[in-house]
Amino acid sequence: MIRYLISIFILTLIASVLQLFSPEFASWSDARIMILPLVFLCAAVTLDIAPMLALAFFCGFIWDAQNALASAGGDESVYTQPAEVLRFGYSIFLYGAMGMLMHGIQPLFRMGKWQVSTLLSGIAIFLYLWAEYLLLTFIRGELIFPIEVLKKISYSAILCMLISPLIFLLLLALAKRFGHQIKYQGYVWTSRYITPKHL
Amino acid sequence: MKPHNLIALLLFLAGAIWAITRSEHSVQRIQASYYELAGPLLTQSSAASAKARNFLDEVKHSEETNVQLQLANDELAKLRVEIAHLRKLEEQNVDLHRALDFQENSPFHVMAANIIRRNPATWWQEAVIDRGSLNGLTKQQAVLDAAGLIGKVNRLSEDTSTIILLTDESCHVSAKVDGTPEAGILSGQRGQSRERTALRLRYLSKNAAIEPGMKVYTTGRGGLFPADILLGTVESFESGEVDAEALVRPAVDFTNLKTVFVLTQDG
Repeated sequence: MIRYLISIFILTLIASVLQLFSPEFASWSDARIMILPLVFLCAAVTLDIAPMLALAFFCGFIWDAQNALASAGGDESVYTQPAEVLRFGYSIFLYGAMGMLMHGIQPLFRMGKWQVSTLLSGIAIFLYLWAEYLLLTFIRGELIFPIEVLKKISYSAILCMLISPLIFLLLLALAKRFGHQIKYQGYVWTSRYITPKHL
Repeated sequence: MKPHNLIALLLFLAGAIWAITRSEHSVQRIQASYYELAGPLLTQSSAASAKARNFLDEVKHSEETNVQLQLANDELAKLRVEIAHLRKLEEQNVDLHRALDFQENSPFHVMAANIIRRNPATWWQEAVIDRGSLNGLTKQQAVLDAAGLIGKVNRLSEDTSTIILLTDESCHVSAKVDGTPEAGILSGQRGQSRERTALRLRYLSKNAAIEPGMKVYTTGRGGLFPADILLGTVESFESGEVDAEALVRPAVDFTNLKTVFVLTQDG
């Protein structure tokens, strides 16, 4: 498991570098392939909770190192209402939440059908981008949800769906190479008072 | 929950809270370190793609390119002469101001930079340029082109900088409408695409005499942008209950940014 986890961290680093070069598709409402979030969300399906959380921290940290905005600056008597910026570190919480969600829907991937995995990864990216935009809206006030934003999120999810089978293939190949067994069991709840032998 | 999962969750939360409570200075150092590693990759890939584009253009239009080059050289020589004359006038202006005990105006010096990446982040309107702290750039320096204001430097590393564009919601500029006493704050709008950009000029008087076609300039107040830089043209004006807003079409073509100029201080 350790070797598989190390390979996933290296894959994530490569994804973060590739993300720097991921272009926007202007004719698709500036949609882009979200390589790093996609790699994380796919990897979250193959990991247990503890390594998934470590990966979420790593990915969120890198994402904010790449993208977090600095404060606006300027004379406060002139710029009395600067736009709020999402603090460095918000992505860590977002990746953690999305990772927990993906971990919870692990059983849906058990069938091993690529169509199901592709669809679920597209939905996951859609939810990730939607959550990020809602967070931004919450911080800045004014609930604005233009149709362009919905198109951007949808097209980005579709683009990610197109490459998610490659990501899953790569992850499965790495898991096989390093002898990692993927448990598609999601969250297992056991009651302290009622055990199977009582049933 | 299994004990090791609970420990992992607590460590994760502790790490996330540590990250979110970092000071601005620590965040800048983290980002500068990240871009010091990633910067060379960005500049090299941008140089490679520019070379490939130039090679293809040259193959296609070599004769045309030669003619255009000659015209451009002639224009450059003419502009150099004009600039030399304007610099002299500028120096005379500064001397006169000094003589009259007015506040000294710094001469307008710019540093050219190339855009090597557009919109690296999902929700921000930004561009990465191939100049950084090693070239003397600092945060919040204004960035312009011949048409008007483009934005300001937001993040720095040694070799590259990220500029936040005027079309981004978080880039606020103190602005005035030419021909009126009206001043407000100009900014981009959330969720715009690169092709459809309109700026919002807020906090105007309810009964302002503003009409479409009026020019909008920087006021120079606020310590970020010098005065009288063109921002755009008013497209529409809407009066509210308390104040009014105008939609402004930017002067700069943000779909076609290649070379920009960072405003530097003299000496």
